[in-house]
Amino acid sequence: MRCSLSLPLVAAAALLSGPAGRAAEPPLRAVIDSELKAGWKKAGIAPAPRSSDAEFLRRVTLDLVGTVPTHDEAVAFLADARESKREKLIDTLLADPRFARQQADVWDQVLFGRHPGNADATRKRDGFKAWLAKQFADGTGFDRVAREVLVGEQPGTELFQVQFRNQPEEATIAVSRVFLGTQLGCAKCHDHPYDRWTQKDFYGMAGFFVRVVIEETSSGNTKTYTVAEKATGEVLFSGAAKDQQPGKKGEPVRPRFLGGDELTEPPAPKDAKEQQPKAGAKLPKPPFSRKEKFAEWVVAPENPYFARAVANRVWAQFMGRGIVHPADDFQAENAPSHPELLAALTRTLAASKYDLKALIREVVNSEAYQLAGTGPITDALPKHFERARVRPLTAEEIVLSLRTATSFDAAGKPPTPDDYFMRAFGEPTNGLGDFQGSLAEHLFWNNAEQVRVFARRKKGNLTDQLLASTDPWEKRVEHLYLSVLGRRPKPAEVSKFVAFITGDAKPEPRVEDAVWVLLTSSEFRFNH
Amino acid sequence: MSPLCRAGEHLSRRAFLKGAAVTGGGLVLPNWGGLAHARSAAEAATKAKKRCILLWMNGGASQIDTFDMKPGRPTGGPFRPIQTKVTGLQVCEYLPKVAAVADKLAVIRSMKTHSPDHPDGIYHMHTCYKMSERTPHPELGAVIAKFNGDLGSDLPTFVRMGSCGNAGAGYLGPAHEPFSLGREGKLGAFTSPYLAADAEMKRAELFRFVEGEFAADHKAEPFDSHRTAKERAWRLLRAKAVFDISKEWPAARERYGDTDFGRGCLMARKLVEAGVPFVEVGHENYDSHADNFVCHKANMQHLDLAWPALLTDLADRGLLQDTLVVWMGEVGRTPQINNRAGRDHYIRAWTIVLSGGGIRGGQVYGATDADGKDVRDNPVSEGDLFATIYKALGINHRAKHLSGVRPVWLTPEGSQPITELLG
Amino acid sequence: MPDLTKPTLVWTLTWDADWVTAVAFLGSSRRVAAGNNLGGVLVWDLPEKPGGDPPKPLLKLDGHTNCVSKLACTPDGKTLLSSSYDHSVRLWDTAARATGEEKLVLNATAIADAERRKSNGAKVPPPIPATVGVVKTSQVFDGHKEWVTALELSRDGKTVLSGDDGGHVVLWDVAGKRVAKRWQVKGWVAALALSPDQKQACVGERVPLVFDSGRHAGLKLWNVATGEVAFDLSAEFKGQHLGAAAYSPDGKVLVVGRGGESEGTLTLVDPVAGKKGKALAPIHQYGATDLAFHPDGKHFASAGRDTVVRVWEDATGKLVSELGKPRGGQFKDWVHAVSWSADGAWLAAADMAGAVQVWHFAG
Repeated sequence: MRCSLSLPLVAAAALLSGPAGRAAEPPLRAVIDSELKAGWKKAGIAPAPRSSDAEFLRRVTLDLVGTVPTHDEAVAFLADARESKREKLIDTLLADPRFARQQADVWDQVLFGRHPGNADATRKRDGFKAWLAKQFADGTGFDRVAREVLVGEQPGTELFQVQFRNQPEEATIAVSRVFLGTQLGCAKCHDHPYDRWTQKDFYGMAGFFVRVVIEETSSGNTKTYTVAEKATGEVLFSGAAKDQQPGKKGEPVRPRFLGGDELTEPPAPKDAKEQQPKAGAKLPKPPFSRKEKFAEWVVAPENPYFARAVANRVWAQFMGRGIVHPADDFQAENAPSHPELLAALTRTLAASKYDLKALIREVVNSEAYQLAGTGPITDALPKHFERARVRPLTAEEIVLSLRTATSFDAAGKPPTPDDYFMRAFGEPTNGLGDFQGSLAEHLFWNNAEQVRVFARRKKGNLTDQLLASTDPWEKRVEHLYLSVLGRRPKPAEVSKFVAFITGDAKPEPRVEDAVWVLLTSSEFRFNH
Repeated sequence: MSPLCRAGEHLSRRAFLKGAAVTGGGLVLPNWGGLAHARSAAEAATKAKKRCILLWMNGGASQIDTFDMKPGRPTGGPFRPIQTKVTGLQVCEYLPKVAAVADKLAVIRSMKTHSPDHPDGIYHMHTCYKMSERTPHPELGAVIAKFNGDLGSDLPTFVRMGSCGNAGAGYLGPAHEPFSLGREGKLGAFTSPYLAADAEMKRAELFRFVEGEFAADHKAEPFDSHRTAKERAWRLLRAKAVFDISKEWPAARERYGDTDFGRGCLMARKLVEAGVPFVEVGHENYDSHADNFVCHKANMQHLDLAWPALLTDLADRGLLQDTLVVWMGEVGRTPQINNRAGRDHYIRAWTIVLSGGGIRGGQVYGATDADGKDVRDNPVSEGDLFATIYKALGINHRAKHLSGVRPVWLTPEGSQPITELLG
Repeated sequence: MPDLTKPTLVWTLTWDADWVTAVAFLGSSRRVAAGNNLGGVLVWDLPEKPGGDPPKPLLKLDGHTNCVSKLACTPDGKTLLSSSYDHSVRLWDTAARATGEEKLVLNATAIADAERRKSNGAKVPPPIPATVGVVKTSQVFDGHKEWVTALELSRDGKTVLSGDDGGHVVLWDVAGKRVAKRWQVKGWVAALALSPDQKQACVGERVPLVFDSGRHAGLKLWNVATGEVAFDLSAEFKGQHLGAAAYSPDGKVLVVGRGGESEGTLTLVDPVAGKKGKALAPIHQYGATDLAFHPDGKHFASAGRDTVVRVWEDATGKLVSELGKPRGGQFKDWVHAVSWSADGAWLAAADMAGAVQVWHFAG
């Protein structure tokens, strides 16, 4: 069967009619909770209780600004008696400049992963991340962000296209996955076995990237890249991979929007010859830009894929699973778990001119996001969202959190060896989102000076604060817990830690070890 | 003392716990090696699942200069063949010790593969899939670690040294990632605790308490995976002695050859003996686009010591029947000799050698034409080779995993084990 | 006196069965011998004067079964020595009569290549036939158990220094093939030379590994009488193995050339003081292969993997002339070896492309 849209009818209808037709819609956070509750009822599931304040504070701080809360933030939040303190905290964090940086880190990983193509050029992406952060700080609509990333002409945006240098197929796969939530990888070699996409669809899409040219200029040791475009060039298609023969010539394939029409473009002059720019000169902008047309199509209101893909991904970012899961695999055989909810998220996002911050505000204000991380379920990402998801901190979050938890920056801002952390914590999952502890990670935790430096006494840092204090050890253990885990210790924990620290005539090594234990605990390693 | 009984070898977590119980639950580090130092060490190892040692000829060894010689042909080069006791198997004059163990070898002369360069060939010959696919396929070592390894063991399940594979555990995940030693078999970074043993023990005890408190009401799998890996790391540190071959080396040096590769092969033997299911040892210097013959002569002089010594040691210990030893690289080398006295990459017709566990030794499989330019009989693809390896190790070569939503199999569709090679 | 600044290529003696790897003039005669990668040796008789068609070979010396690494002839022209990868050094009586005859096509490989590429428009060249007398008798020195890679004959033609890939260096006499001295270096013998007074030997060593900790390269000057190291210059030539070495006839200069694939730098060494001296320019890109002193004792020729032969002044290290040009392509083929005629007016070069180049210097 080939239908033109694989969206559920309701969602499609909603997209077409737009939000204006639904004046009395309840706030999105309420829709989220009612939809999830309906799901629990249907499945006969009891959700986890509401999270404790400490648990919520740590979770939302990590999710929104990429680090654990400080000791003082924890103390203040726990002492705050206001009913609305969670909503207020969310507003504060969303207004924090670190929010833009955290979002930039998240989307940088979505757009590149840890091992982007063209590694020499894309290894350092400070410029790209800075550009992304600026967009989030300025509140630029995500449709605009997507367009600029796809076109790659605004300074700072080039690297996304640079990672696909000379490989329009790779660009097709990545762009479809990230911006359309669609897996086209299989259709590169054969018609997609589980989905409607054929090789013609794949190469039709590749036609938009086949003319992209990455130009490189170097001055000294720094290289800069320009995303240019030729005026000619077609994808040649020669059938399924298994039928390939040496010497077999391919047929040109017209560019075609996924599941839509062929691109209408002015016919090329008959004797059109590609202009060869002089050495060092830039390729002139073509009279007709395919990549611009493509970028416009991606973010156009008529495009059924973009809004739902982005909405689903933001949901997954905070709730662990996508409503369609994995988040980038929309297809007939992979139905959304909560279609109405996905429709509502999609609608709200489009209506808000792709204001991600507004969407995030609703998600994290929901009761569902604020459920506890406790309970008997062992899934890291519960299918019905009935318990908070458990996700490993990223390498970036680990470094920031270690700094925060131990007051590492108390005496100036010593640099941290980020490369080591990237190596040890860069890829904590098996590529499918399932966390797996690795030997290398723990050898690093256990024996690395790069970790120890956070626990060892240094003027003003956590270990120093604990040792310098004259409070009774019970009080100091509380300080330790609040600093590292953002919560107060249980009585058993207090007595155990006091006994551990005072079990030696010299407390300093014991305090260092106590700090180390909390820093390497699973409670610290994950956001839960 | 029994020759099977060697200091610092210990097999399983069970053995550890038993030993620990003797000392009242304490982790008495200095004596650790002695605790699990059971007479039945090798016995227990052989009861475990089959193991594999991959001798990786990085850069691609020349088949015509080793196992598929073409004397008197324009492609033959300056080396001369010697006869082995196996009918139809002549090997290079610089592999006399290999020739002496030819009855253990199954030589595949008909490899016909698809990735002609280093990164893609290394990936392809470690995963049996093309590198250009988006799916992160696991290396041979990760697959064997998963299916034949015991994550509860003290030792890593996938160990490698020297220049080896480039794919890692792929979709099988960090638990099966390789544990890399230095080229000469030395333990890598972060394997030396900075705490004294008793302080380390006390700190570990506090960690376990903290985890226990948290685990009481936090049941999600990642927490468990985190602390399980931590315990594995601690066990590995206690089992470190296994990685120290300084005691065995003086007696073995002459037989294995005083080279990185020789030391690596001894380490591999020691590790599989201790229950590690997969060890890869890289051997360098094969990528001889220039001066192929002197490079290969030098390499073969090392190879000819280490490899037969390894096979002989394994056989003497009763381990060879359960240990598959694979000799291969990412490509073969061109029959034509270029104007740099070199041979370039070649994938149309080249050679791989299997021996040991599950393999019927003393045979040649497949053949090339007179000049070694094409496969004449029984071409073998990457998938067929891996299917054969997996079959020999008792692993279903069509075992299915999911990568995202895509089902993926250990070997590509249509791959078949080569029954003639299997014992 | 020949003017060494004015080289002319007078004949290219085609023999393309395989790489031509060694070459030597026979005494003060007009005869020149060349060996190839398969173990063949041919002998030509050169015309007295330049010009005319290239001469055809007269004799084939049949005995080696693997690559001929070096050729050397006694000054009286009576004995030709050939070292080979077949582990032997053969001694040929140049007056021996042929016992048979063989017909050769000297450009057989070029013809076969063209035939294969005919469909692409390749032109098949006309054959260059030759009939040679075959000499099968020779004496064998069997004191090596590995590829004999280096061979040097003393000035008087009575003593041989040969070296192999097993690291053995052997001093022996031509007349009786008796070993006078034998010692072993670390690694393999990459190149060697014997001082004119036969008291010192320069031996370059190597183990050709790239990444392994077993890699090795060394350059040592040995006291021949004791088999002990007189000077170890390995540190000065760190990581470099020799492609060639030669002493000047007065024994005051030792020239060494770095082997491939590397920058084939030629360096002057003071063998008496054991001191590294001047490095010459230009280098033989990708490595030097052979060095040969001119009979005048003031010049020497060098060959390398850049298909160029260079003539140098040994006192100053000044370049006198260049014979040939790099043939193009990223990697060039090699000139394996060079040999001067006794009168110093002719130079023969062993060309990997399957030929002996004969150069003349007018006087």
